[in-house]
Amino acid sequence: MTGTVFDIKEFAVFDGPGIRTTVFLKGCPLRCQWCHNPEGLSPKPQLMVSSASCVHCGACSRVCKHPDNCIACGVCVPYCRLGLRKIAGTIWTAEALAERLQRDADVYQMSGGGVTFSGGEPLMQWDFVSEVISRLKGINTAIETSGYTNDEIFRQAMGTLDLIMMDWKVSDPEKHRYYTGVDQAPIRRHAEMLAAGETPFILRMPIIPGVNDTEEHFQTAAEIVKDAKTLLRIDILPYQRAAGAKYSMVGRDYSPEFDEAVPPRYFLNVFDDAGIPYKVFR
Amino acid sequence: MTDRIQAMRQFQWEHKHHTARTFLPEDLHLRYRDNALPDYARTALRLEQALETEEPYFFPQELIAFTRTVPNLPRIYDEEEWSAITKEHYIHELGNVSNLSPDYGTVIAEGLASLRDKLTDSDYHRAMRRSIDAVLHLTSRYEEAARAKGLTEIADTLAQVPAYSPRTFREALQSLRILHYAMWCEGDYHNTLGRFDQYMLPYLKADLAAGRETEESAFELLEAFFLSCNRDSDLYPGMQQGDNGQSMVLGGMLPDGSDGFNILSEWCLKASGELRLIDPKINLRVNSKTPLSVYEKGTRLTKLGLGFPQYENDDVAIPGLMALGYEEGDARSYVMAACWEFIIPGKAMDIVNIGALPFANVVDKVLHEQLQKLHSMKELKAAIRQEIFAEVRRILEERRNLYVIPSPYLSLFFEGCLEKEKDISLGCKYNNWGLHGTGVAPAADMLAAVDQVIFREGTSAEELLQAMDADFVGYEPLHDRLKYHCPKAGNDDDQADEYLSWLLNTFADAVEGLHNERGGIIRAGTGSAMFYIFHAQELGATADGREAGVPLPANYSPSLNIRLNGPVSLIKSFSKPDLKRTINGGPLTIEFSESVFSQDEAITKVAQLVQLFILRGGHQLQLNTVNRERLLDAQKHPENYRNLIVRVWGWSGYFVELDKCYQDHIIRRAELLLS
Repeated sequence: MTGTVFDIKEFAVFDGPGIRTTVFLKGCPLRCQWCHNPEGLSPKPQLMVSSASCVHCGACSRVCKHPDNCIACGVCVPYCRLGLRKIAGTIWTAEALAERLQRDADVYQMSGGGVTFSGGEPLMQWDFVSEVISRLKGINTAIETSGYTNDEIFRQAMGTLDLIMMDWKVSDPEKHRYYTGVDQAPIRRHAEMLAAGETPFILRMPIIPGVNDTEEHFQTAAEIVKDAKTLLRIDILPYQRAAGAKYSMVGRDYSPEFDEAVPPRYFLNVFDDAGIPYKVFR
Repeated sequence: MTDRIQAMRQFQWEHKHHTARTFLPEDLHLRYRDNALPDYARTALRLEQALETEEPYFFPQELIAFTRTVPNLPRIYDEEEWSAITKEHYIHELGNVSNLSPDYGTVIAEGLASLRDKLTDSDYHRAMRRSIDAVLHLTSRYEEAARAKGLTEIADTLAQVPAYSPRTFREALQSLRILHYAMWCEGDYHNTLGRFDQYMLPYLKADLAAGRETEESAFELLEAFFLSCNRDSDLYPGMQQGDNGQSMVLGGMLPDGSDGFNILSEWCLKASGELRLIDPKINLRVNSKTPLSVYEKGTRLTKLGLGFPQYENDDVAIPGLMALGYEEGDARSYVMAACWEFIIPGKAMDIVNIGALPFANVVDKVLHEQLQKLHSMKELKAAIRQEIFAEVRRILEERRNLYVIPSPYLSLFFEGCLEKEKDISLGCKYNNWGLHGTGVAPAADMLAAVDQVIFREGTSAEELLQAMDADFVGYEPLHDRLKYHCPKAGNDDDQADEYLSWLLNTFADAVEGLHNERGGIIRAGTGSAMFYIFHAQELGATADGREAGVPLPANYSPSLNIRLNGPVSLIKSFSKPDLKRTINGGPLTIEFSESVFSQDEAITKVAQLVQLFILRGGHQLQLNTVNRERLLDAQKHPENYRNLIVRVWGWSGYFVELDKCYQDHIIRRAELLLS
């Protein structure tokens, strides 16, 4: 079995406890306006070009065989003297990826770390991810997910992973669809499954100015997790202004409909009052 | 930091003390020549004249006195004499005793007056006495000046030290300040502070136990001493400002086998972090028994971006040094000679940087001259081994008939010099020479690339050499293969890492059994010092896909233009070789983006990473925290970045004071950083 991975990052300090390696799986059904990994959206390998430093020498065009319809063949990549072109997305077999991750099992163990699957939306390639996990020995596994998948896959994920980090993005269902492009209902259902279940989890809240920096949003999150026995904490992830940096590299526009310059508001007192542990990543 | 330290730091930062400076006449050497004085007597006379010219100078709210007011030291030889000497002798660096570690602890405890009592009327002892008297006379003048200004505590301290044994932590610090200060005035340089946390600890403990100082007041004294190490930095000779060897080594195994990390070690880490100055440079000795909490303390300092601490691994260094013939107790006492070369305080006249084996250049030369005739990696390795052996011998052949300018004052700090009336410049218990090894990672990458592309995939040697000579223009697919699709040292890929091990072992084999003219052995190392700049300039494009003009990495670090998996792979790769065999020194350097540290838990994670390197048998590690955007902006607007400190090759300096080639190298390193 194979999967498409757009990055493997060692020593990912923000993706769970201990020293961790994060595998970024390519492809996502959501289109969040604040997404900072646009190369994770399409499930297929694609060409990325840092055009800001391009001197238009023409070397890449001279060797291109698909000028009107890039197929990410990568022929042009070596010809850029400035190294501005690369293919995002590598096909891995589950066996090879598991072997690559297993190599550092000793490091994960000594540090209380492990492997984190992120994306994109890793549950879009759940068969591949679960196959990789089944091949890992003695390694703690975590996932960063939007929670947007079917119930059966989510149930399997809860039964397989040691830690689930799931986003709670927008509480208002209408706004959720507007800003992320998908229905909130399955996500809400899965958040409630986590809250009622046995799997340790972290609820992650990206806070976007003018979108979800409201007291109601914080209250809804508190409501969802208030009786959860396995909640480790809520992570508050403020919007990063660098989010748009990679859009031009994948030929997309970055045009969020919120004002990036406004600092988001937090209603941490909601969590304080409810006795819910949380952490703000400033 | 107290208000007083804050004020002194600011005063010093604004260079207000520079206004008190006056120059010595440059024609001083004429007097020596006319009197036909021997070299050691000239050094003593010059020290006397330098210290006589000094004027006592006190900072506002001074705690630890002695500030240089004479910026220059005239040479003891005139041009004619010096050129006669250099014609006959090998001269190392500037010709002075340098890069050693004096035994400050013993001299502080004994006192200069007691040492003076041991001197006879021999000519050499007269030079030693003249030196001691010069130091004590300047101390008396400082004492008088202090009394006249009502600085009674300083005056009382100077009445005691460095002539007599210190009774307090303050006196011990003042004694060290004077002894170290006078060393620079003798013309010696880059001689380190050694195991400061060990030889100073008894004084601190006694003061705290007796209630003479509180923790706060004693810590203030420590910070005042740290400040004093930065007062005269601009007067020290070095490749670049900051390259001055004022390093101290904290923690680590003691000669009796117990662990040396103590309250003073911890205070030194804290003071360095509070003051954020380039001196003293902080080294932290660790081993398999060091608890994670010590690494965490070190990491809190790393986070600040000063390039401190540098870590040394007892478990590798001590057996490595013993295998070279150092006695166990001495090996356990190792410190850093200036940057990262291992040296024994008070016992070694090792010249730790007598030359450098340019790994990358050697491999490149063999490829150019012989690749077309060779049929296998086995033959290629044999050719490289032969060339490494030849290069080592050629380097040593050029270093015959060494002459070092004598230093009778510094000799007081070395075992046996006083008793035997033998100047330290002529040798001590250990007289070994060290060779750096530059560009070992690119050299390993070249071998891995040739192995794959030529001997496994069948590209012709002609094509590879033509591609290199064309700087890969017109050979883009091959360039891409070499650069991005061949194994690289640093990615935990045995195909490349085995060449890293093999090259280092070959270097160790090449020096084994060799002796220098002083009877010492030759030590192989993994350092580069400034050679990484020189050696890269001699290279065109190389077989690892490195384009012409791309610098070599500093020290024991991965190539600069490759894709790295990350710090875990890096540490695994670079801890594979048996580094006991190349224990002259030279650290793996890892750059972190400062964003890594935005969460407090990252401290523990980075500490665990350092511990991983140590547990896996790494010898030396140095971590930097950098912000590339800030470095680029600092090049454009140096006026806004006078405070910005960066690690260069074995020392930290102010970024805006470095030559552009060093600035550019640091920016290029930052492009590989791990975030």
